[in-house]
Amino acid sequence: MFDPSSLWDVIVLIGIVAAIAPWFGGYLGRIYMDRPMPGDSILGPIEAGIYRLLGTSPRKSMTAAEYFVALLVVNGMTWGFLYIWFVFQPSLPLDATGAPAMSWTLAFHSASSFTTNTDFTHFTNESQLSLGSLVIAWPLALFVSASTGLAVMAAMIRGFVRRDGTLGNFYVDMVRTISRLLLPLAIVFAVILVLLGVPQTFTNTVTAYPLTGGTQTIYLGPVASFTSISLLGTNGGGFYSANAASPLANPSALSNLFETFVMMLLGFSAPFAFGKIVRRRGEAWPYAGTIYIVFGIALGLFIAYQFATNPALASIPGLGPQLGGYPVGQETRFSLPEGSLFQVVSVYSNVGANNMQIGALQPVSQLVLLFGMFTQSTPGGEGTGFAMLLLFAVLGIFVGGLMVGRTPEYLGKKVKTGQVRWAALALLSHPAAILVPFVVAVVGGFVTVSSGSLPATAHTFTSVLYEFTSESANNGSALTAGGSSTFNDSTPFFNLAGAAVMLFGRFVPIYAMLKVGGMFSQQETLPPGQGTLRTASVTFTVYITLFLVIVTVLLFLPVIAMGPLSQIVGGG
Amino acid sequence: MADTGAHVPVRRVGHTSAIRVLSDSFRMFDPRVQVRYPVMFCVYVLFLFLVVLTLYPRAFPDIARTYDAGYYLWVTIILFLTLWFANISTAIAEAQGRARADSLREIRSGVRARQVLPDGTVRWIPSDVLHIGDTIQIRAGEPVPMDGDVIAGAVLIDESMMTGESAAVTRESGGDQTSVLGGTMVLQGSARVRVTAVSGGSFLDRLIRLVEGVGREPSPNELALIVLLSALTISLFVIVVTFLYLANFTDIIVISLATIVALFVCLMPTTIGALLPAIGISGINRTAKANIIAKSGKAVEAAGDLDVLILDKTGTITVGNRLAVKFIPGPGVSDAELLEVALLSSSLDDTPEGRSIVRLAAHRNATTRRLEKDKFKVLPFTAERKMSGIILPDGSEVFKGSIQAMEAYGAILPAALRNEAAAASKEGMTPLVISLQKKPLGLVLLKDVVKPGIRDRLRELKTMGIRTIMCTGDNRLTAAAIAHESGVDEFVAEAKPETKLLLVDREKSQGRLVAMSGDGTNDAPALARADVGLAMNSGTGAAKEAGNMVDLDNDPTKLIELVSIGKQLLITRGALTTFSITNDVAKYFAIIPAIFIASGAGALPGVSIMNVLGLTNPQYAVLAALLFNGLIIPCLIPLALIGVPFRPRSAIDLLRRNLLYYGFGGLVSAFVGIKLCYLFIVWLAAAPAVVGLGAGVGHYLPIGGL
Repeated sequence: MFDPSSLWDVIVLIGIVAAIAPWFGGYLGRIYMDRPMPGDSILGPIEAGIYRLLGTSPRKSMTAAEYFVALLVVNGMTWGFLYIWFVFQPSLPLDATGAPAMSWTLAFHSASSFTTNTDFTHFTNESQLSLGSLVIAWPLALFVSASTGLAVMAAMIRGFVRRDGTLGNFYVDMVRTISRLLLPLAIVFAVILVLLGVPQTFTNTVTAYPLTGGTQTIYLGPVASFTSISLLGTNGGGFYSANAASPLANPSALSNLFETFVMMLLGFSAPFAFGKIVRRRGEAWPYAGTIYIVFGIALGLFIAYQFATNPALASIPGLGPQLGGYPVGQETRFSLPEGSLFQVVSVYSNVGANNMQIGALQPVSQLVLLFGMFTQSTPGGEGTGFAMLLLFAVLGIFVGGLMVGRTPEYLGKKVKTGQVRWAALALLSHPAAILVPFVVAVVGGFVTVSSGSLPATAHTFTSVLYEFTSESANNGSALTAGGSSTFNDSTPFFNLAGAAVMLFGRFVPIYAMLKVGGMFSQQETLPPGQGTLRTASVTFTVYITLFLVIVTVLLFLPVIAMGPLSQIVGGG
Repeated sequence: MADTGAHVPVRRVGHTSAIRVLSDSFRMFDPRVQVRYPVMFCVYVLFLFLVVLTLYPRAFPDIARTYDAGYYLWVTIILFLTLWFANISTAIAEAQGRARADSLREIRSGVRARQVLPDGTVRWIPSDVLHIGDTIQIRAGEPVPMDGDVIAGAVLIDESMMTGESAAVTRESGGDQTSVLGGTMVLQGSARVRVTAVSGGSFLDRLIRLVEGVGREPSPNELALIVLLSALTISLFVIVVTFLYLANFTDIIVISLATIVALFVCLMPTTIGALLPAIGISGINRTAKANIIAKSGKAVEAAGDLDVLILDKTGTITVGNRLAVKFIPGPGVSDAELLEVALLSSSLDDTPEGRSIVRLAAHRNATTRRLEKDKFKVLPFTAERKMSGIILPDGSEVFKGSIQAMEAYGAILPAALRNEAAAASKEGMTPLVISLQKKPLGLVLLKDVVKPGIRDRLRELKTMGIRTIMCTGDNRLTAAAIAHESGVDEFVAEAKPETKLLLVDREKSQGRLVAMSGDGTNDAPALARADVGLAMNSGTGAAKEAGNMVDLDNDPTKLIELVSIGKQLLITRGALTTFSITNDVAKYFAIIPAIFIASGAGALPGVSIMNVLGLTNPQYAVLAALLFNGLIIPCLIPLALIGVPFRPRSAIDLLRRNLLYYGFGGLVSAFVGIKLCYLFIVWLAAAPAVVGLGAGVGHYLPIGGL
């Protein structure tokens, strides 16, 4: 199994992404700039029609507060639609599987999960979701949440180049994100997935007669198109509960690599979209650099630990040396590096799709994944990940700016008390959103296994901690693909607490991002003087990387200590 | 002139001040004082909480199983020290300001004023009942009772008690030199003065309040930093409290309240939080030490942000007077002959130009007959005549003057000299013709001399990314030559009084921060408009009112110094914040393993990896981290008061260096410091007799779990 040559496809894939990202990021940026671009002749009239229908116009630019309200209206309506659909799914179209109605708390959690781009599920798709929910309701949220995140990023970035206090029009940003990016790419990627062997059909089930006897029901549907938008928009929901570990959603090594590519595309391109919109290409590199450094180290560690021996096993006498790493929990159809790349990309891009059982991994590997959900920004989810990185940068620039003896400024805009307040709030609310419900769950006795007893083992901690971390980061990654087996998370408490954490983890940072963007937008742009800190530089890249890592460590070390470390202590 | 007030009557923090600092540091335990700085207030509340816990552990039944009197006591003591060290840093900074304020206050106690009533009668009243607009009489030998403008008469005033400048200054009615300051001494003459300030509102009073730091508002950057530190503190509070709940819930790890308080205090940005007030006050102190009175801390910070300095040519870039630099004899005239006549023409000329001609001639070993003043007819220089000279007893006329004036008088230049003169003009020099009996003997070239060292200062400014604009009434040629020689980035020639205002507006409209200096009433609008307006103390009241800083030494070059002071202030804050944050990382590595070791899990691989410091006793480890956290504050007080060393460099270079020194340095020093503190505590626990506190110390030093 140990095959060093399999590292090559990992390296080649990252190389391809690195080569495409600057160009694709430029395209991504142009979507949000008021200038002609390819496709205008066909899409322009259609978009104009939609704007008229919505009663808005690209010329109507919104302030941060207006933008947020518009965003809440669209997301609120989507949430309501999903909630109603899930509660009434047996009475709605496409109900061939006979999935029962969801309990109101489960519907609450699911609607929140899909609207917030988390796609953490407390149900099993195959038995608890009707085909209508799977092909109509959920995909709607895949598009809405992905376009919301990207619109927020665009709006926040505009704050650096505008001087009128506005950030653009949310409806226009959303429509253009879908028409110019998500829809065309999702179609192309779906076709490629079909070519790679992913099913795309309206047949609901086929019955198989395996050699072992009996019958097996195989659920089918528009898997390729669902997977395509789910991964592209960093949602991460799977058509199947087993997500990308399912051979139908991810049939081959090639599809695995392609799906990895799709997940990386937006996150790794986002810095260049930023460079494009602020019209300073070079400013993209510090962020691209930060992302590559943190992601690269994470991937390296993860792969190294997948190849390393498990100390717990090594200590068992008579077991002999372990060869070929520690593949427990891995999908064996992929090599260790391929599986690792998919998993690290998925968690670090806030997709949350799984192709392995994270709960079975070595503690360090789990830590690596947790760290990605702590930063949420290397590269993080659709737009919001990069916006989060910008918030880190704003704080970093504030401290760094003081260190060079000037009132901190970035791209000609001063970093003042207001920006510091909101950026700090967004970054510092993350640990609180994880820890408070975590403690309430554990101390309040809400953690139950199926038998209903209260097993406060360290391993349970890790599972609960991982769940809330994933929900606060709007990631969606679960310790175990297809629902947690270590504790029962489909309870009213975890449904409601999880929903609250996801909504908080989504809309509080978004408000802060818009607020910070709005504050920058209200300022005049100062001309760059010679005394201005040159941000497009290696020093600044290293500085921002260190700042991000140290602040994250500072805030999350106790969390880390309580989770996997307590697992060590507890002997779990 | 640029030397910063070595002769200023600032008392050093001496014996009595040390007691005052001490008493102040205890007075600052007043919660009303503590609440002003959120981070330290948090430590304060935790300290009170621990005091209660230590004294009445039964008040909190839950802690019974983890209560350990000795351990609680020590944590409480270290918390007290931490708060006290923070207070001391503020008290020292305030004492430095007060020392200067006190010396200023002495000047004014018990001064009486001679008020001139509208009917012309004069009466003595205490100076503090004067009103604005009252007229007072000042006389030689008496102190000026209150700030005002001279409306009649002229006086010679000693301002050294305010400015440290020993040369007396003239103040007379009309013009730009009318302003007198309360507290200065009249040396000669008498004058009527219209009072421009009332008691408590005079310049002196304002100055005293400023250096004492009364009513000091946090500046915008300081406020933003406080917001960041508070957010960090709140977030860490949530983290630490949940950590406590969780840990104690598991029964695997038991953490006492004292440990969790210690963890929280260690992680809070206490280093920067404790020193923040001192840094702000010392910023104002440093400006005061440079003999500049800033009207607000905001103005000092703004100085660090400046993009553009508008500098007057005269007095700032050049020494102020044109000086003779070269003699050019005409055709057929010997050097010696020219020198002798030049000397003759200027011996009785009291203008700086005249004196410089004498100096240059003397330097060239010129000699002349001894001149007795009353035997000559002296024609002094006037603006209309544009020439000056003497008429010897034998009637021969020795004159010097500008080419136009001399040709009008009859001394027509030969072509050779005319060419020399034109060439000199092109280089920014002013040629004067020297004539004997209307025969031009040659030229003496006058030059605006650039101040020594100004070139280097301007280069430093350029390194810091600050653009300099020279403003002068001279013609373009002269201005260009001086600009070239001094290295300013830009110049404006033939400037009119309103030019500065236009310049300030132009730069500000492009979003730049502008500083300028000035002393005249016509500078006032520009001073008010500029982000940093440095008014000269000798200037008019209007100028001083308009600017946000006043330079007591009347040295416009101080603008350059101000930039460094402002930058240093910001850098000190940034550096100590970084230091504080990287310190925290090391503290985690001391406390988290300690918690696991105390729970009997010290041998586990994850823990031993984290326990890089090899701290084996968990209670000592926590105390060591906490002790280091407290001790680092007094260690950094000098840095907070003096400011981090600052040399003009590019921004990126500064970032790199400060990251290395304070970021990496913070990390390393914390690891080393905590280890040393740990060894100290181990030693203290083992040898109670050594510290002379009796055997009891050993008893109170904890040995149990956490």
